[in-house]
Amino acid sequence: MTTTAERQMELTLPMVADIEIAAARAAGNLARELGMSSEKIDEMTHAIIEACINAREHSGCADNRIYLRFVGTSQGDGSRIDVWVTDHGRGFDPAEARSRRPAPGVSHKRGRGLQLIEAHMDEVSISTSSGGGTTIHMVKYEKKES
Amino acid sequence: MTEELKVAVDRKDNGAVLYTKGYINNVGGEEIAVRAYELMDAGVRTLLLNLRDTKIVNSIGISILIEIIEKMIDKGGKIAFCCLTPVIHKTFQIMGLANYATIFDNEENAMKELGL
Repeated sequence: MTTTAERQMELTLPMVADIEIAAARAAGNLARELGMSSEKIDEMTHAIIEACINAREHSGCADNRIYLRFVGTSQGDGSRIDVWVTDHGRGFDPAEARSRRPAPGVSHKRGRGLQLIEAHMDEVSISTSSGGGTTIHMVKYEKKES
Repeated sequence: MTEELKVAVDRKDNGAVLYTKGYINNVGGEEIAVRAYELMDAGVRTLLLNLRDTKIVNSIGISILIEIIEKMIDKGGKIAFCCLTPVIHKTFQIMGLANYATIFDNEENAMKELGL
């Protein structure tokens, strides 16, 4: 029988300078409790940082808040962390954002946040609508060595 | 909350090494830029950034690093990095920074290759 342990955390953070570090540290602590490797944790925290920066810089939300939810699940064959980063802002068009993206490895000063999120996480999905805010759902897996 | 970046400079005969400690965000990136531009104005054309005590970067900070690299290239100089964490190395490659600046595993190799 496989044992499953789950840990959850919810945070509401003000959109102030460097608040993304608080979000990243909280997620990192949860991941460490699950036994995730430091390299996986570093990738996840960098993705969370970019998601929070995108919310702060581009959402245009009135409440100036970022809503985060972390769910860590540990099973016999490894662990996973689901992360939701939500803002109540103007929303955006992910397809249009991706179309403006320069190719990987090509030097470009801005507009890399979503690309970095997708590169550092195993799964990324975006729910967004005009005026209805945005939620980025990201998943990081760690498989145990067999 | 603030995550202030500290930058230390070690002048060499043929260039300089910048040691960063902390988060390279917009403020941290600007701090590096100030120190790098001071060195460029003083004639330094070979700059090594040792990021051994930096564990987190963001895309805004990296965009400032790219500006520094572009200015150095315009002046005929070169910038290199060393002692990156695996995730920072991966991020630099995605951002295209690795195309314009050499990345070394350690400072010893970097100094030797750069002639510092």
